[in-house]
Amino acid sequence: MEEVVRLGISAVLLAGLYSVMAYGLGLIYGVLRIVNLAHAGVIMAAAYVTWLLHSRLGIDPYLAIPVILVVFFIFGVLLYKGVVRFLPRGAAGGVQSLLLLFGIWLVMRNGAYLLFSGNDRAIRTEYSTHSISIFGTSVAQSRVVVFVIAVLTLAALHLFLTRTYTGKAIRAVAQNPDSGTIVGVNVERFYALTFGIGTSLGGLAGLLLATIFAFNPTSGAVELLKSFVVVVLGGLGSVVGIALGALVLAFAESYAILILPSYLTAAVSFVLLVVVLVLRPGGLFGQRVLA
Amino acid sequence: MVNSGTQGPPVLDIEDIEVFYGDAQALFGLSLNVQRGEVVTLVGSNGAGKTTTLRATAGLQRPTKGDIRFEGKSLMKIRPHERVELGITLVPEGRELWPQMNVKENLELGAFCGRARGHVAESLDRVFSLFPHLKDRCNQMAGSLSGGEQQMCAIGRALMSRPRLIMFDEPSLGLAPILVSQVFDTIHRLHSEEGLTVLLVEQNLTKALEIADRGYVIETGMIKTEGTSRQLLDDASIRSAYLGI
Repeated sequence: MEEVVRLGISAVLLAGLYSVMAYGLGLIYGVLRIVNLAHAGVIMAAAYVTWLLHSRLGIDPYLAIPVILVVFFIFGVLLYKGVVRFLPRGAAGGVQSLLLLFGIWLVMRNGAYLLFSGNDRAIRTEYSTHSISIFGTSVAQSRVVVFVIAVLTLAALHLFLTRTYTGKAIRAVAQNPDSGTIVGVNVERFYALTFGIGTSLGGLAGLLLATIFAFNPTSGAVELLKSFVVVVLGGLGSVVGIALGALVLAFAESYAILILPSYLTAAVSFVLLVVVLVLRPGGLFGQRVLA
Repeated sequence: MVNSGTQGPPVLDIEDIEVFYGDAQALFGLSLNVQRGEVVTLVGSNGAGKTTTLRATAGLQRPTKGDIRFEGKSLMKIRPHERVELGITLVPEGRELWPQMNVKENLELGAFCGRARGHVAESLDRVFSLFPHLKDRCNQMAGSLSGGEQQMCAIGRALMSRPRLIMFDEPSLGLAPILVSQVFDTIHRLHSEEGLTVLLVEQNLTKALEIADRGYVIETGMIKTEGTSRQLLDDASIRSAYLGI
């Protein structure tokens, strides 16, 4: 029983990280209909930038959040304006955008090998080893902080998309771009904005990841795949759906340890992916459009 | 028929435009104009190029040749999303609402352009007084509305931009007969009570000519006949081709 509670707590905390990983991917797919494979590279790059800021300049990783958000927002907008803008969209453009963004990921990964070598890096702060007690279970403090940041991100993103004029315009562009043009929305500008926001969320995920795990230039690949599973599970209905998708994946993975040999737990997310795609291709909770 | 005489440049002046979809040509040198305060209808069969004409005016389709002028000013250099700022709006075929947003959000976004943004509350009142029924549906998703309600919402969204020229693309399509009459009544009221200039695309020729001052008949991407509504209704060839009389 104690084991069940412990796994439950760690699943909830893990879901926070998963949701942040998936928001950027889901937002970009929901609005632009592009699966951004460069998301993996962004997560990895942000981990390194966070590490550099901490090791060279002594900036605490959590205080570096605004820096990461701004830097990767700009990176995303430039990536959109420089490359992604020219890609065909939707089903017709699937292959081109997958290949091109995969290529960008490879460039980023090899760039990281050149700059930082293939060795694992980790961020050590004086509070890295602190832990706190939740329902009698001891958990790493950094995991709790990551979870809190994830919840704040969810709230901010949800309010932005449902309460602000700009956010509503993003949803409108996702649901029907031509109607956006008719009412005066510069659709291209909102695509660039969305790609920027999605990329900056990927950056945030990289930062949070770096505060918990060691990383190297190949980091981001597993995170990309899990983000993809979360987006498929949650559907594109809303960011809340994505958060729920993250919960489902985190619980499935955590409790799989109880019944599966440990070498099979890595397969849980992919089995889940296949099952959902076959049974509920619109996601567990909803729609295929950002609502 | 408030003032169909010509004073100043026409509100909309389409001159000799050609539009292609890939290799397929949709419009072959089409010209038409709409004077201030007029209701002009563009009628013709499926695939004749009616929707393309409206999309070209709204900026959703780019003509390869010819010119479109709004109040004397060429639109060819004006980006699509900036055209609404000038006072042009379109009620698209099939409504094209944002289905996963509620009625109020759909309407509010109709006032996205800078010129209209400051008047959201006022414009909302106007839309709700025109369509009291929409007010009850305020928080309902647009995708869950009935066809008639969706059409009201689409017209409301267009009005939110405070247009001077409003274009309707087949507003009666797929509606029950009683709703068709309502839609035409609304268009008539917008014209007679608010003085809006209207370009109306329709397959329902009789209904369209009933409320229009003038009409153009389009066939395979070209204007075939034009005239006042009376002239077109009396034209024997049009009666046999489009009215089956």
